[in-house]
Amino acid sequence: MTQRRRLQLEWAQHEGRDCLKIGGWTEAELGELNGLDAGALSRRLALYPSEAVPHGGGWPVVPPVAGSFLIEGEAAWFVPRFPFVDGVSYSLLVGSVCGAEVWDIRRASSKGSTTTEALEIYPTAAELPVNLLRVYVHFSAPMSEGWAARAITVTRADTGETLDDVFLPPEPELWDAQRKRLTMLLDPGRIKRGLVPNLEFGYPLVEGTTVRITIDPAFRDATGQPLRAGMARSYDVGPPLRSRLDPAAWQVTTPAAGSRDPLQVEFDRPLDHGLLQHCLSVRDSGDVTLDGMGEIGKREHSWSFAPDVPWKTGDYQLVVEPRLEDVAGNTPARVFDRDVTKAEDAPGEWEAVTIIFTCARTHGARVDRAY
Amino acid sequence: MVDLGTATSLANLGLAVGTPAIKSVGPLAFGPGGVLFAADNVGASIFAIDVGDAGDGEPQDVNLENFDASLASYLGCSREDVTIRDIVAHPRSGNVYCSVMRGSGDAATPVIIRVSGDGSIGDVPLDDVAFSRYDITDAADADDPRLVTRMQLRTVTVTDMSYVDGLLLVAGTSNEEFTSTLRRIPFPFNGEAKSNSLEIFHVSHGVYETAAPIRAFVPYQDNTSILASYTCTPVVQFTLADFDTEKHVMGKTVAELGSHNHPIDLISYEHDGGEYLLVCNDRHPLFKVACKDIDVQGPLTEPDDSMDASPADPVTPGVGVPRELLPHPGVKRMANLNGNGVLMLQQDEEGRSHLRTYATATL
Repeated sequence: MTQRRRLQLEWAQHEGRDCLKIGGWTEAELGELNGLDAGALSRRLALYPSEAVPHGGGWPVVPPVAGSFLIEGEAAWFVPRFPFVDGVSYSLLVGSVCGAEVWDIRRASSKGSTTTEALEIYPTAAELPVNLLRVYVHFSAPMSEGWAARAITVTRADTGETLDDVFLPPEPELWDAQRKRLTMLLDPGRIKRGLVPNLEFGYPLVEGTTVRITIDPAFRDATGQPLRAGMARSYDVGPPLRSRLDPAAWQVTTPAAGSRDPLQVEFDRPLDHGLLQHCLSVRDSGDVTLDGMGEIGKREHSWSFAPDVPWKTGDYQLVVEPRLEDVAGNTPARVFDRDVTKAEDAPGEWEAVTIIFTCARTHGARVDRAY
Repeated sequence: MVDLGTATSLANLGLAVGTPAIKSVGPLAFGPGGVLFAADNVGASIFAIDVGDAGDGEPQDVNLENFDASLASYLGCSREDVTIRDIVAHPRSGNVYCSVMRGSGDAATPVIIRVSGDGSIGDVPLDDVAFSRYDITDAADADDPRLVTRMQLRTVTVTDMSYVDGLLLVAGTSNEEFTSTLRRIPFPFNGEAKSNSLEIFHVSHGVYETAAPIRAFVPYQDNTSILASYTCTPVVQFTLADFDTEKHVMGKTVAELGSHNHPIDLISYEHDGGEYLLVCNDRHPLFKVACKDIDVQGPLTEPDDSMDASPADPVTPGVGVPRELLPHPGVKRMANLNGNGVLMLQQDEEGRSHLRTYATATL
């Protein structure tokens, strides 16, 4: 009954939804299909992704695409439970006494453009401690999950050798709320002294070498497009960093009262770029946190803060939250892998550290400005 | 196992009908009244959802070869567009619920799949459904008065959840600081969550102690203990009563998994009067631990080089709780199925995923 007719499959809207319209039925078929209830109709007609249909013909062993068929006028419609996927081929199977006819149709691929870039890899310091804990990758637009493990690689600059298993398997991947910043953790089992992975495999990085972290342009953005260009950053790998953060060792340059010049804080080592954005603040003598603009300096080695209103004469506090880490995970309260036999490594109080500085009116190089 | 109760009303659980704005689905856990908890790591929320499973009927073993291919066909996409995040079994009906992401990026669609004992696949409607929501935003950030923080960069990614006696226990990993906290969220979602910082002791050298995020955990012994696995290999026992009284909780390290391996999932099951735990790993084989052995296992706090001395056999070192390797390859997720079986999501060498039920007597 079906040999002389050719079914016509097309994508069409039905009640505002993207559906599959199937025309070209014979009058006899339409009469039969109209007489079927929903259950019988779904046994007569079924839609599958084409990859699920056996090459030799016959019904797939997997369930059909979720959705429902309905007959209207001279056409059958398939209303999908989930939207059709661009670029995917679908096969309509029409059951008959002889088996099943197969009719194929493909969704057009979406034509996006490659506009997204990898903006920066942090840390940006030229030299890293061999026990680096964390790397951040910033992108210009929201990204897709599932690419971190394959699109970020670390190689040795001298041999070109790819260093395997540097990062903890990124499952789940650690993104910010906008899906624009990815956090990659170096395998902590290989960073901590004494743990078997560290003994067997050594640090993920190799001290005394230069390594290169590369973001492959194949990394897909949220629209499914690859990056416009990849990115790479090279680092000299130095000795391990194993001591608590000591804010007392920082150099604080005090701004002049009456100005909105930034407070300048120079660290004794590079600090974690992500945490630097949250963990430093300035309070006045009344413990009120100042509004203003904090800015992370080059190589994450400094921080500055310009208040919205001019500094007043008197004392202020630079407040360092205890969760602030350096690039090796050491905080003011603890060393990342503490040696319990060393008294100086004993964990400190998990409280904020404050540095008092005093703003005064000066008449030197820094000129008071009236606002 | 979660006690479902008998006449728990959804309203009493704080659920109201509506359309939850779920952006993604990750770890799953069942709670009271057959409510399913689903972590949404993109939306930084946990949803409690009525999956409409009355729990009738006799639970059956669930076996489905090429599960991922079945999901792809049902969802109308290619296999590579299907990501299976977690599996959990309804405590009464034995139906299997599975968190699945279809596609990625802007096109990603969260789906909660139901697999019945006969192997048929359906999905839980996520519109006009009774639900409630808990936001996992970090209070410290939400209240941050400084202009220094101009973007919401800091997030917590939920890695595992379990419901115990009115509390949803949530393990998470921060995308910034490297610490270990276990959140305890009262359910119904009307109370304030509490959290404990957790400390563990590393075994293989004995000199160094660290903080690290929990990757997976499971309550056991009538919910009086939890066994947790860490990203950096130790398996640690905590006594749940300590969480109420101590802000900073010390765990008892009972095993070190060692050697370039990361634990993925843990479950508990009972057999022949004994309780057992299974741990699946990304590199090492699935292994089994008897809970009675954890009880008598002293804390591992002394240096031990047995794993260093025999790196070829890092899974069964001479110290720590005895563990038995099981022959089930490629186990990615597990669920306790009606008390008599363990459901495993297994991935074969070709990357195909299968759901298989194993009777507890065979494990």
